[in-house]
Amino acid sequence: MAKEKEDNSLSRRRFLELMLATSAGLAFFPQGASLTTRGGRDTARKVLVLGFDGLDPVLTSDLMKANRLPSFRKLASSGSFLPLGSSIPPQSPVAWANFITGTDPGGHAIFDFVHRDPKAYMPVFSASESLPGKHDICLGNLILPLSGGKINNLRRGRAFWQILEDNDIPATVFKIPSNYPPVESKQKTFSGMGTPDIKGYYGLFNFYTNEYKTITEEYGGGGRVHDVYVIGHRVESRIPGPNNPFKKGNPETYVDFKVFIDPVYPAAKIAYQDQEFILKEKEWSGWKKIKFDFIPGQRVSGLCLFYLKEARPKFKLYVSPINIDPAAPAMPLSTPDNYSKELARKFGPFFTKGLPADTAALENEVLDENEFLAQDELVYKESVAILEDELKNFRSGLLFYYFSNTDQRQHMFYRFLDKNHPAYDEKLAAEFAPVIPRTYEEMDKVLQMCLEKVDRQTAIIVMSDHGFNPFRWGFNLNTWLLQTGYHYLLPGSRPEEVTLFQRTDWSRTKAYGVGLNALYLNLKGRESQGIVAPSEREALTRRLANQLEQLIDPKTGEKIILKAYIGRDVYHGPYVDLAPDIILGFNRNYRISWNSPLGSFPRELIEDNRQKWSGDHMSSPTVIPGSLISSLPVKLSDPTLQDVTAGLLSLFGIKIPPEVTGRPIF
Amino acid sequence: MWWLNKAVGLVVKVLLLPFTGINPWGGMIFISFLTAVLMLFIYKKTSNQNGIKEVKNLIKGYLLEIRLFQNDFGTFLAGLKKLLSVNVRYLGYNLKPLLVMIVPIFLLLAQMNLWFGYRSPQPGETLLVKVKFNQTVEVGQLHAEVEAPEGVTVDSPPVRIIDENEADWRLRIIDQTGGQLVIRTGSERYAKDMSLSRRQLAKLSAIRVNQNVWKQLLNPGEKPLPGETEIKQIELVYPEARLKFLGLKIHWLVAYFLLSVIAGFSLKGLFKVEI
Repeated sequence: MAKEKEDNSLSRRRFLELMLATSAGLAFFPQGASLTTRGGRDTARKVLVLGFDGLDPVLTSDLMKANRLPSFRKLASSGSFLPLGSSIPPQSPVAWANFITGTDPGGHAIFDFVHRDPKAYMPVFSASESLPGKHDICLGNLILPLSGGKINNLRRGRAFWQILEDNDIPATVFKIPSNYPPVESKQKTFSGMGTPDIKGYYGLFNFYTNEYKTITEEYGGGGRVHDVYVIGHRVESRIPGPNNPFKKGNPETYVDFKVFIDPVYPAAKIAYQDQEFILKEKEWSGWKKIKFDFIPGQRVSGLCLFYLKEARPKFKLYVSPINIDPAAPAMPLSTPDNYSKELARKFGPFFTKGLPADTAALENEVLDENEFLAQDELVYKESVAILEDELKNFRSGLLFYYFSNTDQRQHMFYRFLDKNHPAYDEKLAAEFAPVIPRTYEEMDKVLQMCLEKVDRQTAIIVMSDHGFNPFRWGFNLNTWLLQTGYHYLLPGSRPEEVTLFQRTDWSRTKAYGVGLNALYLNLKGRESQGIVAPSEREALTRRLANQLEQLIDPKTGEKIILKAYIGRDVYHGPYVDLAPDIILGFNRNYRISWNSPLGSFPRELIEDNRQKWSGDHMSSPTVIPGSLISSLPVKLSDPTLQDVTAGLLSLFGIKIPPEVTGRPIF
Repeated sequence: MWWLNKAVGLVVKVLLLPFTGINPWGGMIFISFLTAVLMLFIYKKTSNQNGIKEVKNLIKGYLLEIRLFQNDFGTFLAGLKKLLSVNVRYLGYNLKPLLVMIVPIFLLLAQMNLWFGYRSPQPGETLLVKVKFNQTVEVGQLHAEVEAPEGVTVDSPPVRIIDENEADWRLRIIDQTGGQLVIRTGSERYAKDMSLSRRQLAKLSAIRVNQNVWKQLLNPGEKPLPGETEIKQIELVYPEARLKFLGLKIHWLVAYFLLSVIAGFSLKGLFKVEI
C-alpha cells in the first residue's frame, strides 16, 4: 500500500484545503435549472472568433514574413493585422474578462488571478467561489445536506453572448476563460480557464514511484508523489478524489488500484473498478473513467489519463489531474446543462479542466518535454475535432472558439527561444526551440480549416488576450516593501520562512503585495487592521508608484517596473473600489517572483528564474499586446480587447450598451 | 454439455437472424415475446390451473374478510392466518412450473448474453485477451504468443500476472473481419473464436472455458477447451453493450425481464392461463 509523503509546508496545504475542499463537495447539490433554448434569429452575417491565448503579434508577424503562416497571411491581407491592446494587468482571466464584458476590470471585477480577503489578508481565487449548503443534518459520522451548495462566478458585467441573446442572436462560446461556472444564458457555452479538476484544484496530478521524489504542491494545483513498493511485480495504491461532503471532517475519497508488471517485458496491466488495461512503457492510456463514492447512491465521475513512464528498474506511473466528466458533470460546465453531455456523446471523453496541459508535471520533471507535448497534442486534437463539428453546425450568429496550446507551450518552452534565459539549455534548445513556431503553425492549420469551412457571409476574427515575453527574473515585491519600511514583521521573525503574512505586524504595515501584479495599501476602514488613513491614501499610493517605477536591476541596469498603474486612475466602473491600489506593469523579461504573490519574503530582491515556466505575460500591457487579425478592415489604429467586443456587437447591428466602454473596431 | 449448448445456440441464432441488421431492440422485443409465450405454455401445462384459480379466489375472499372485519380483532387475525396459509399453497402451485422453466430459461439467458451482452469493438479500439493457466504452469517462465486473426493486431507484449496465473495481451482492431485467435505455448495451440461484426446485433463469445460443467453452462458460445490442457480459460474483454432508450443505457437483462413480464401478463388472457 502506498505511503503518501507528508507535505512539510502544512500552512500552505491547510490554506489550500480551506480554500478548495468545498468545491468538489458541491458535486451533487442541485445546480441552477437547465436552459435548453437559445437565440434563434437567422443573421445575414456570421462571425467566427478564434481565441488563441497568448498569440504574440511580433512572433506572428515574423512567422508570417517567413511564410510559415499562410492562412494568417491570407486573412490579414483581406482585412487587418494589428497589435491588440491588452488589459491592466495582461493576465488571461483579466484580459478575457475585458473582452467578455467590453469593459476594463472596474466593470467586471477581475483584477488578477488572485485577489485578497481584506479581513484576513489571505489570497483568494478571483474567478469563482464555492459556498457550501447552509443547512444539514448530522447522523453520527454522516452529514445529510438539506440545501444545495453553490458555485459563483465572480466576474461581473454582462457577457457579450448575453447581450446577443437579448437581441435574439444565437452564439456558441467554447471554453472562453473567465466563465466558470458559466453565467446563466440560453446560448451554448462551455466553461474554460478557471474550471477546476474534480478535487476543486486547478489541476492536481498524482505520481506513483518507488524512487525518491519531491514535488511542489502549488497554489491551487501541482501534484502529489505517492511512495509505492513493487512487491512480486505488483504495485497497489490509491487515486485520491474529491473530499466527501457527506462525512464529518470531509475526508478525501479514493479509488484503490493495482498495477501488475510483467517480470520481463516493459509493460503493465492497471486495474481498478471495472477498468483494466495494458500500458507499455512510455505509453498514454487515453481517457479512463473513474468514479468516487461518497455514500450509497452518491458518486461522482471523473476522467484521467495514465502514463507509464517507467516499469523498471524504477516504477513511475503518472496519473493526470482528474477532469470533470462532461458526460455526467459533477459541477456545472456548460449552458445549457446538456451541451456538455451532447459533446461527450459525440466525441467521447475530453479535457474539461480549465488549463488542460499539465505544466506542473513538466515543471516538476514528472513529465519531460516530449511527454508534456504529447499530452498537449491530445488537447489540440480534441479542440480541432470539436471545432470542426461546431463549424458544420454554424448557421447563424456568432461562434467563439478558444485554444490554450499557444499559451501553455509558450509558458513552458520560451527558455529555448531566449539564449539569455537563466534556464536556457543549448542541448535541449536544439530539440525544442522549434516547438513554439510549430505551435503557431498548428494554429495556422486551424485557421485554414475554418477558412475552408465557412461561407462568404462569415467574418473571421483571430485574437489573443496578450502577447508573450521571457520571464528571466522574478521580483520579490513583499521583500522590497519590507526593505523600504512599508511592511513590518513581528520581532524575531525570519523573513525567508514567512508565508501567507503569518508574521506580519499589521499595526505598522502600510502596504502588502498579493497576487501576480497587485499591491494593496493597509487602508483603514477597508483592511481589518488598516493603518493608512484615507486622507493619506493618495499621496502614499503615488509615492509608492513613483518609487517602484524608479527601481533598477543592478545586474542589467534596466527598470524592473515599467509602469506602476494606480487602480483608481486606470479603471472605470462600479467595481473600482475593489481594485488593487497599484498594479505593477513589469518591464520586459521581469515578473513577480514565485513566492511573493502568496505573502512570502524571500531573501533576494530579484531572483533568477531557473524554472521551466519561462515565458510569461505580466508585463505592462504596452510590452506585450495581443494580436488581432480580421477578415474585415479594422478602422481603429490602436484597438483594445474591449473594442473588439463593441465591434462584434456592431457587426450584428446592436446598439452598444452604455456599460460597454469599447469603441467598435469595424 | 457442448452439444446441448450448441443446439440451444442454434435455435437462438435462427430466431435472431432476421434481426441482426436492425436495432438490437428488435431482437430483444421478439425474443421477450417468444419467451413469454413459451413460459405461459409451460406454466399452463405444468401447473395446477384449477388449484391456482381456487387459491386466488380464496386470497380475494380472505382479503375481503380482513377488510370487512378489521374492527373485530379475532376474526381479523383468523383471516390473516388463512390468507397466509393460501399464499403458501399458491407458492407451492408455482414451484413445479418454476422448476420446469428454470432449465430452459437458464440456457436461454446464457445464450442471450452472447448476443446482447457485448458489442463488437470498432476499428481503432483495443481490448484485452486474458489467458488463465492451471496452477501447474509457471506463468513467470512461460513463453506464450498470440496469433491474432485478420484485421486484428497484437498491440502489446504479454503481461504475466504470476499471483493469478494469468497472461494478458492487448489487441487492436484494424477492421472488423474477425476470425480465430490462437494462443501458442510451446508446441500447443489453443484457438478462441474472435468474431467481429459490423452488424448491430451479433453473437460474441467472450470466454472459452475448460471442461467444467458449470462454466460451460455460463459460457456456452464455444466448444470447451480439451481436457488436460494447461489453460483454464481464454477471455476476450469485449466492451459491454447497452440498449439505448430515451437517453438511458439499459442492461439487456433488465430490458428482457421487463418486456417478457409485460408480454406474459398481456397474453395470459389470450392463452387462458391462470397465473
